[in-house]
Amino acid sequence: MTDATASGPVRVGERSLLGKLEGSVSWILLGLVGLLLPLLDDSYIGVIAQRAYIYWILSAGLNLVVGYAGQIAIGWVSMLTLGAYTTAALTAGTATDPWHPYLALIAGGVIGAAAGVIVGLPALRLRTFYFAMTTLGFATIVTQVALAWKSVTGGGVGTPGPVFPWPFDPGWGFYYFCFILAALATWMTANIASSRFGRALVAIRDAEVAAEASGIAKPRLLIAVFLFAGALGGVAGGLFASLQSYITPDAFTFEISVLFFIAILIGGRGSILGPALGTIILTALPEFAAPLVQWSTFLYAALLLVIVLVIPGGIADLLDYKNRRPLEQHREIVPRPDLLGRVLGGDGRSRGKSTIALRDIELHFGGVRAIDGLDLEVRSGEVHGLIGPNGSGKTTTLNVISGYYRPNAGQMTLDGAELPFALPHARAGYRISRTFQTPRLVGAASVLENVMIGGTVHGHGTFTESILALPRHRRDERHLKAAALQALATVGLESLAQVRADRLQHSELRFIEIARALMLKPAFLLLDEPAAGLSAEEIRRLGNLIKASSREGVGVLLVEHHADLIFDICDRVTVLNLGKTLAAGTPNEIRSHREVVSAYLGA
Amino acid sequence: MSIKRRTVLTGSAAGVVSLTSGLAAPAIAQSDPIRIGYLPALTGPSSSTGVGINRGVQLGIDEINAAGGINGRKLELIVRDTQSEPTKAVNAVAELTQRQKVGVIFGPVNSGEALAATPLIARDKVAMLHPCWVDELIDVKKYPMSFRIAPTNTQVGGGANYYVVDVLKLKKVAVISDTTGYGTASVNTYVPMLKAKGVDVVYQGHVDAANPDLKPDMLRMQSAGAQVVMPWSVNAGFLSRILNTRGAMGWDVPVVGQTTLGSGQTKALLEKPENWNKVYSNNFRNCCYVDGKLPPRAQAFVERLKKSKIEMGDTLLWWIALGWDGAQMMAQTFKAAGTKSDEVVAYWNKIKDWPGVYGTVTWTPEQHNGFPDREVVMCEVNSLKDGAFNLAPGYNS
Amino acid sequence: MFASIVSYGLAVGAVYALIGITYNVMFSASRVFSFTAGMLGMLGGVLGALFITEWGLPTIVGLVLVLACGAVLGIVTEIVTVRPVLKSIDQHLYVLSTLAFALMIQQLTAIWWGTDARPFPRLIPIGPGWLDQQFWLPMLACAVTIVGLELLYRKTLIGRAFLAIAEDAYAARALGLPETGLRMASYALAGMIGALAGFSGAEILLAFFGNQAILNFYGFVPVALGGMGSNRGAVIGGLALGVFQQAANFLVGGIFAAVAVFAVFIVVLLLRPEGLAGAATARRV
Repeated sequence: MTDATASGPVRVGERSLLGKLEGSVSWILLGLVGLLLPLLDDSYIGVIAQRAYIYWILSAGLNLVVGYAGQIAIGWVSMLTLGAYTTAALTAGTATDPWHPYLALIAGGVIGAAAGVIVGLPALRLRTFYFAMTTLGFATIVTQVALAWKSVTGGGVGTPGPVFPWPFDPGWGFYYFCFILAALATWMTANIASSRFGRALVAIRDAEVAAEASGIAKPRLLIAVFLFAGALGGVAGGLFASLQSYITPDAFTFEISVLFFIAILIGGRGSILGPALGTIILTALPEFAAPLVQWSTFLYAALLLVIVLVIPGGIADLLDYKNRRPLEQHREIVPRPDLLGRVLGGDGRSRGKSTIALRDIELHFGGVRAIDGLDLEVRSGEVHGLIGPNGSGKTTTLNVISGYYRPNAGQMTLDGAELPFALPHARAGYRISRTFQTPRLVGAASVLENVMIGGTVHGHGTFTESILALPRHRRDERHLKAAALQALATVGLESLAQVRADRLQHSELRFIEIARALMLKPAFLLLDEPAAGLSAEEIRRLGNLIKASSREGVGVLLVEHHADLIFDICDRVTVLNLGKTLAAGTPNEIRSHREVVSAYLGA
Repeated sequence: MSIKRRTVLTGSAAGVVSLTSGLAAPAIAQSDPIRIGYLPALTGPSSSTGVGINRGVQLGIDEINAAGGINGRKLELIVRDTQSEPTKAVNAVAELTQRQKVGVIFGPVNSGEALAATPLIARDKVAMLHPCWVDELIDVKKYPMSFRIAPTNTQVGGGANYYVVDVLKLKKVAVISDTTGYGTASVNTYVPMLKAKGVDVVYQGHVDAANPDLKPDMLRMQSAGAQVVMPWSVNAGFLSRILNTRGAMGWDVPVVGQTTLGSGQTKALLEKPENWNKVYSNNFRNCCYVDGKLPPRAQAFVERLKKSKIEMGDTLLWWIALGWDGAQMMAQTFKAAGTKSDEVVAYWNKIKDWPGVYGTVTWTPEQHNGFPDREVVMCEVNSLKDGAFNLAPGYNS
Repeated sequence: MFASIVSYGLAVGAVYALIGITYNVMFSASRVFSFTAGMLGMLGGVLGALFITEWGLPTIVGLVLVLACGAVLGIVTEIVTVRPVLKSIDQHLYVLSTLAFALMIQQLTAIWWGTDARPFPRLIPIGPGWLDQQFWLPMLACAVTIVGLELLYRKTLIGRAFLAIAEDAYAARALGLPETGLRMASYALAGMIGALAGFSGAEILLAFFGNQAILNFYGFVPVALGGMGSNRGAVIGGLALGVFQQAANFLVGGIFAAVAVFAVFIVVLLLRPEGLAGAATARRV
């Protein structure tokens, strides 16, 4: 990978450094204000600030759940409740011998983490709205249990909150405690957000199918995130109990939950700074708008509606002036197939030959036979074209190979070994990658980040290493970034690396998808109508790129309508009709196949 | 969006100090108003008590100011609506003690807010006058500057228990509450008290106030042979359901319990006016009619309210009286002892038989609960007139 | 006791069922679950008490006005919170927009109507006991709604158009059906059903702003368990839920009933995300 830092990457790397500096100015300012706030010697401002820090510690974790992973957890106040009661009860010694308050706070975090997973589990299976409801239900249950379990929680009378001893004793000591933990929470969530895990979360949110194709295992990742967010919520709860001095179940209202949630959305999904500002604003605002105090929830709700309808990107979008700079008007995509060797790694001829084989595959949707006894072989170093009229089963076949559909009958093998049905995220492990008929990209992420998603499985660091930005995490990031820039240079789009993907033209999106697919260093590349919507010149360049990748040893399955492209670059062509093979052979054989000509090519 | 390590410039700290010193509050001149911190719940789900008390507080302050204030200084209420939310109360305490530097705080009214606010106010060494009943709020060791101008929950329950056991002579009791802090705490305190009086508590339970049907619990009470139902809740919906269910079951059992049994909201939710018969709620001797007449202090107070056109029909006389007493107590203290917290506390520690409209208050350095037991009584709820009730039958005055 | 469990449980269950149908009608028209279902139920009670008790209007006029308000709110929901986010339905922004709208209305109610539960008038003063109108009114409303919806869907052109949209919006649009208009009509219909639910159940639930959250959750449980879009599932689920809750109230007490309902909800959904009666939907790639 040493040679990966060729001409292009260095240039882009510099720009991103500048971007980072721009981004951190706000953080430095916020940090300075936080550090110096005690000089005002106004405990009232101190209490409001402590509250904002505590709420932010929770929201920082929730931000990964809501803002990044897109899971609508409305009832996250339950983590605050659990953390608060755990810390308070352990410190008070109502359940066990009294614990040291700092240990009790850690226990609050642990309980929060466990509860985060419990609440999070349904998200793996349930639809969005269902999940929102279960989080609400869980919050209700936690409060009910707090009411009922009198011996430990004090029931409705409540229980005193912990008082942390020196150095973080009540007053400014506790203030700095909250400040430091809030800063830590920010740092850790920012690390995750900028890691391959953060990008994977956003991919799950906005392009779940593509995330699976890139080998992202949603359950494991989401559980890790729920665990982390729950822990932060639990710690926030312990601090909350101390700030409140006394906790009763009625302190944990649905309104607080809504506040957390709305703060994140006002801040903007996929941002850390935005939600942090949102939390500060929503915590402080009611204090300065005392006459409006009974309208506060109404105003939050109104704000939420406006945000959703008018500026879905929230504050973060408003601050993102970088992406409002106009793009160059007449851009050209000039792929550099000569770079393919480096992107795919190593010498093409040194890679072994391998074959995906489909035998007698059948797939029914209700009474419709989408695929009806299909045989197909895709071999390394060959471009295999799959053509046929609409509804003949081309994309369906591709979806069977990439694991989205489970066939009703038949066999699928990779070099003789069984290739399991219906495990889309496992395909990346077999180095089978793909593109989609409609490009599946994360519009809110940069082109570079989108491409880096494709290399998620190549990372070695764990989630915890990313939280703490340990060396392996940094190495992963460095390698992924270099590889992604290389892939972008290969498809001819490296100049757009820092641009938000949703600002690009359709043809550019097609090539970005190919770059993302190349990140896997694929043995097989499944392309679903990659030429749709491209100009003649772009199709020609695409053809060269595909041909070059097959020369590098990649086995390509090309679903396409453009007959010219198929016949130009394919080594083999299969013609489908009504889920069956109508004809198969070399382009020349197909071109002269009578049935095909009359039925499909229309001569 | 990664975060760079922050570096703090040592020079900047000094700059901020010089900047802020200009913002420090100037010394309080003698003609400035005397500021009183006040933490009522005026909005939110349990605010009807706060609204009632607020009428008395505002009237008291207005009257004192109209008469020239205290030694030429007006009283100024710094009001922070807690909205029945403990988090709001905590923020408000910091504002009142640290920024407004008040010498005395009156409130909060609701238990959740009062429990959270009291330790914080004590930490900031500000004198505190409690209208709230929760027992834990008064503790001369932990909170030496907190005083209560109202009865404790124990006293209130004791008053009801006394009526049930010693006046009505009933031995089988059902005690029910909603699941709020107030409700559960009340049941947990009163049941042992009843048992200590030799009573058989045949039913004891907490029911979510949002639960629309109380028939299961009422049936359980009935089948357990309860002779009296004692509900503890400030939720009018909950209490009215108890009364309506009793009516629908045709169960002729007295209901003895919380003040809200007699509130206008409870009345409005009754299916039949008869459901309000044989219902006795907590009240206070000074604010009850005996033979159609209020005691002289209360009678004079009602005249005063009528003169100032204070609405009484939709609230309770004792709520207004409690607020008014609070204002009077603070004004008298400022006049006699001064406005600083320690002056106030020193004065309060020696209050003896202070004649309030609501109650006769006595405090000592060892006892900051000042309400006398014998003034906690029960009243007949269906006799509501101008916010006050008839003393329940059976007391020998 | 048994009579009380059944009559009471069925009455509350009928309200849940109607809220469930409200969810369904909106879902069928737009593939959107809306937090406004509980809001409509809450408003049915509050507006009914406002019109009949406060303003002194005749019961029937009050009911018509309540239904009209429900319909208007339904249409507003569609225009303000659903239509703008339908384009990007995969992002599930409707969860947020409908939640925001429902919260706004709830807070307005809390401010103007008050946070205390207020009484709802007795509409038809017939007998006490389990024959009391407060028990059979919700059941009657539920029955009328079900029969009415069946007739609408089977016998009228617009009803069939509703079904066509629910079945396959693309195909329906291709046939030239006015999708937007039909969606608005569906939301108006849902608004009326939700308001009717609240109106008919308000003698039990009272005119109370806090009913919104309760109805949102307990109205959704039958939909989730019965399978989305299935009115039959919603009715069976709703009635079962009401009776179960009531039985739990009698046998173990309120807090445990809430925990039990939640536990059943979670477990069933984890085992069968499509609901007990629902069919799994194929994913689109």
